[in-house]
Amino acid sequence: MPHETTLVVALLLMNALLIGVFVVRPAITVTRGGKTMAFLVLFLLPILCGAMGTSSELERSKTTKFCLSCHIMEPYGQSLRVDDPSYLAAAHFQNHRVPADSACYTCHTNYAMFGSVKAKMAGLRHIYIYYLTTPPAPENIKLHEPYNNRECLHCHLGARSFEEGAVHNADPELLPAVKTNKLSCISSGCHGVVHKVGTLNKMKMWKGQP
Amino acid sequence: MKLSENPIERRLQISGILLILGLLTELVCLFWARPLSFLALISVGGALLILGIAVYLLSLVAIRQPRQ
Repeated sequence: MPHETTLVVALLLMNALLIGVFVVRPAITVTRGGKTMAFLVLFLLPILCGAMGTSSELERSKTTKFCLSCHIMEPYGQSLRVDDPSYLAAAHFQNHRVPADSACYTCHTNYAMFGSVKAKMAGLRHIYIYYLTTPPAPENIKLHEPYNNRECLHCHLGARSFEEGAVHNADPELLPAVKTNKLSCISSGCHGVVHKVGTLNKMKMWKGQP
Repeated sequence: MKLSENPIERRLQISGILLILGLLTELVCLFWARPLSFLALISVGGALLILGIAVYLLSLVAIRQPRQ
């Protein structure tokens, strides 16, 4: 358990115990000290606990483990271990181009204002689809909207390999088109193989640890 | 456990019970790392905490002075 979560758990338990004192002996609020303590224990501390608990849960929801805890996402987790550098997601995961413990979130969050909030709202939609409707087969899952190059350029823009790469500069119109999102990075013929979960059973898997 | 007959103390006790339930919900959710726990923490835990705080604040403002 991360240190932050341990701290939140300790705070929650302490708050619950202190509240228990007021539930068992509410008469202690008659004194001035009791009233002050009640304000602290029944108002300020629960707000702090709620905020810290939510913050801790929000942080945890960014982890790869959290995303892959849904059965339907398991093939996407396996696709990160494909032993083939042409698999975009696998190449990023295995070579630490994205943090291994938040790989899904790093590529699938929106790097615009309120991107994290939009990612959480999309997550709630996933929960709805997963539990209350018939979810599609993993290979038929589609993005809500076309993948925006902005998410790639968040890291790659300005990098030498991106700006001066031979293929990227073979056509002088290519880089401007990529930077303005007119040509997708994951177009067929460019970096078109991303997860490709439909053919995973034929692929060799990497056994190492990222 | 019996609730107090004093209305203010009773509200404090109800507030405390709601808050404890909210905190326990949060606690369970923090140990259970699944998307549903995220939803439970936000909806059930959050609602219980807000309700508990609201009852506590109500107990502060709804004090009736005894009739002279």
